[in-house]
Amino acid sequence: MTYHNLLFVLAAVFAVWAVMAKKLLTSAIMLASLSAAVSLIFFDFGAPWAGVFELSVCAGLITVLFIGAVSLIRAEEEKHPENRTRFYALPLAVAIFAIAAWFYLPAFFDELATGRQMAAGGGTIGLALWDLRRPDMLGQVLMLAAGVFVIKSVFPRRTENK
Amino acid sequence: MSTFAMEWYLIAIIIFTGFYCMLASRSIVRQLIGLEIVSKAAMLSVISAGALTDNLVYAQALIITMIVIEVVVVAAGLALLVKNFRLHGSADIWKLDSLKG
Amino acid sequence: MDKGLLAYLLIPLLSAVIIPFAAKNRPKLADILANVTLLAGLANLAWLALRPSIIRGEFADIPGDGLSLLLVAAIYLVAFCVTFFSAWFLDEHLPNRQAYYSLILVSVAAMCGVVTTTDFFTLYVFIEVLAVTSFALITTDESSGGIEGALKYFFLTFPASALIIVGIAVMMMSLGGLSFESLRIFMAADAPAGTVTFAAALMMLGFLIKAGVAPFHAWTPDAYQGAYAPVSAYLAGIVTKISGVYAIIKLATLLRFFDGRAQAVSEMVMFLGMFSIALGALAALKQTNFKRMLAFSSISQVGYIVLAAGLGTPLAIMGAVFHLLNHATFKTVLFLNSASVEKSAGTTDMDKLGGLEHSMPWTSWTSIVALLSTAGVPPLSGFWSKLLIILALWESGLKTYAVLALLFSIVTLAYFMMMQKKVFFGKKTAAAESSPEVSAPLLAPVVLMSALIVALGLLFPYFYTYVKMVAERIIL
Repeated sequence: MTYHNLLFVLAAVFAVWAVMAKKLLTSAIMLASLSAAVSLIFFDFGAPWAGVFELSVCAGLITVLFIGAVSLIRAEEEKHPENRTRFYALPLAVAIFAIAAWFYLPAFFDELATGRQMAAGGGTIGLALWDLRRPDMLGQVLMLAAGVFVIKSVFPRRTENK
Repeated sequence: MSTFAMEWYLIAIIIFTGFYCMLASRSIVRQLIGLEIVSKAAMLSVISAGALTDNLVYAQALIITMIVIEVVVVAAGLALLVKNFRLHGSADIWKLDSLKG
Repeated sequence: MDKGLLAYLLIPLLSAVIIPFAAKNRPKLADILANVTLLAGLANLAWLALRPSIIRGEFADIPGDGLSLLLVAAIYLVAFCVTFFSAWFLDEHLPNRQAYYSLILVSVAAMCGVVTTTDFFTLYVFIEVLAVTSFALITTDESSGGIEGALKYFFLTFPASALIIVGIAVMMMSLGGLSFESLRIFMAADAPAGTVTFAAALMMLGFLIKAGVAPFHAWTPDAYQGAYAPVSAYLAGIVTKISGVYAIIKLATLLRFFDGRAQAVSEMVMFLGMFSIALGALAALKQTNFKRMLAFSSISQVGYIVLAAGLGTPLAIMGAVFHLLNHATFKTVLFLNSASVEKSAGTTDMDKLGGLEHSMPWTSWTSIVALLSTAGVPPLSGFWSKLLIILALWESGLKTYAVLALLFSIVTLAYFMMMQKKVFFGKKTAAAESSPEVSAPLLAPVVLMSALIVALGLLFPYFYTYVKMVAERIIL
């Protein structure tokens, strides 16, 4: 219980840190830590499949992509640093939001929870994907095809220009 | 207060952080980071709702699809960023103001 | 998912995958493959819906809810016009030619997925696919305007996805499932609807942002203006309508707005619809760029659809569906004409254009047909859809909205007349002197669409039967 809430708090801390970090590289690493915290939460909920995917894809692949892009533009970013006051104000803003929300949101969410409808549960993840969410699989195929064509279109192979 | 309300309260804080980042920053990379934070929080809300209603298998099926979407979206965003950097030599979103009216 | 219409999704996908391999050394083959795929789909659709026996039977044999089929037809029609136009418009040495056609076909597949799905999460998945393909399409010509439009589209529409996902989570919690059917059953029952209404409001907000309704319209003019010329016709004509507006109409029918179960959401949607009609029309009056003016006009026309969807009575839903279809026809004509003007005169700045009616008579006349239809002048098709919407508003006792909708329809006519005067009438300017009419293949899609506008207006009784069938099936 405490461990569970602690993981959520940890995720929030990593999120704030990712926004506040001065170097983009630190931001990217904190984002990976956020992903790792989220995947620990998934494991804690008893959702190992989601946890594994989150850990390998979001904490792994996306971080690699981010770090690649960041290292490409880092020099330029550091030449023109942003105004940092707005980022230093973030902990304050989060604190104000957290205190203000404390009076309203938990009560509201408790009310939301009363409207719940229990499901049968059970089954395996493979069956759920295949039986209940088959159109989504088609969507995934389409998404991956779209991803390939996007990269092909944004970075075309130029033969005649060189 | 139930666990569920506590979880969603913290999720709300994470979403707030992400949106704050998107509003405050001028850098495209930081905007993408804000977007990532928001979408992580959205995933947490799905799994939390699934746990509350004993529907975890279904929620996991949704999350796996969401992760695939997220990868492609982030890849597309970074591709746009790199291309913009090659064309303009900057990653500052407010420098994009050639279209006005 | 509607199994009968699955082929309309799978065949473009297959074709999109084949194109890069088949057209590796013969770039023209990409054009041919894309056009043939879409034309075959159109022919198949015409056979399905326009056989004399079907028309005589008042379209009772149409599979599914009828709305999917109608929208699939609109998607194929606009996509076909755009690819046909592109085949002659594209630069010979464009390095990403194959990827361009593949992306268009993938986005056609995604749109067919959006209109045939019966589940909220699947709807979201396909909308994301559609959004991802749109960014790449906007940047096709590698201009700085294109990349700017794409980035703004990216960062202003993706936060909406988070809202939709949280809405989906709440809905999953309170319905136990995510299919449209479970929501329909829930709303028809007498249970307290508070939680579900909250979920629906979050999703509705997300879709309103994706549709570019004011005050969330910041990305729309930039994306349309910066986009590669034929792509802006594709985006304005169909992509943003399917990715946002269709979902709004679908949610509106599922939430049973007309019997007041979700009154607050309904009122919010109607107010935003009216607001974007007003804001789009007033902003369009001030524009000096042809494409940007069309973009603001598009915001205003989307407002009419959203207003009608928010009202949610059967008559209003009929008007919304019909206006969605009309919007696809007239906006495609106007944006493709702006692409022709850009190709011929080299600019879309209205201060530099003028007197194009002598050198480009076809472009000029098709624009007049399209703009009269947009403004709702009888007997063109736009008149009927606006009539339905205003009648529905009047019938429900919302007389203020009805009068305002009518007034802004006149403003629409005013800014379009101004546009026509500046671009096509008046004295020839330097830019117009050296701008010949574009070639016949570039005019063919525009003329086809204009003919369709006139035909839909004149054959309205037949069409009314179809739309009535649709409204009955999706509301009851």
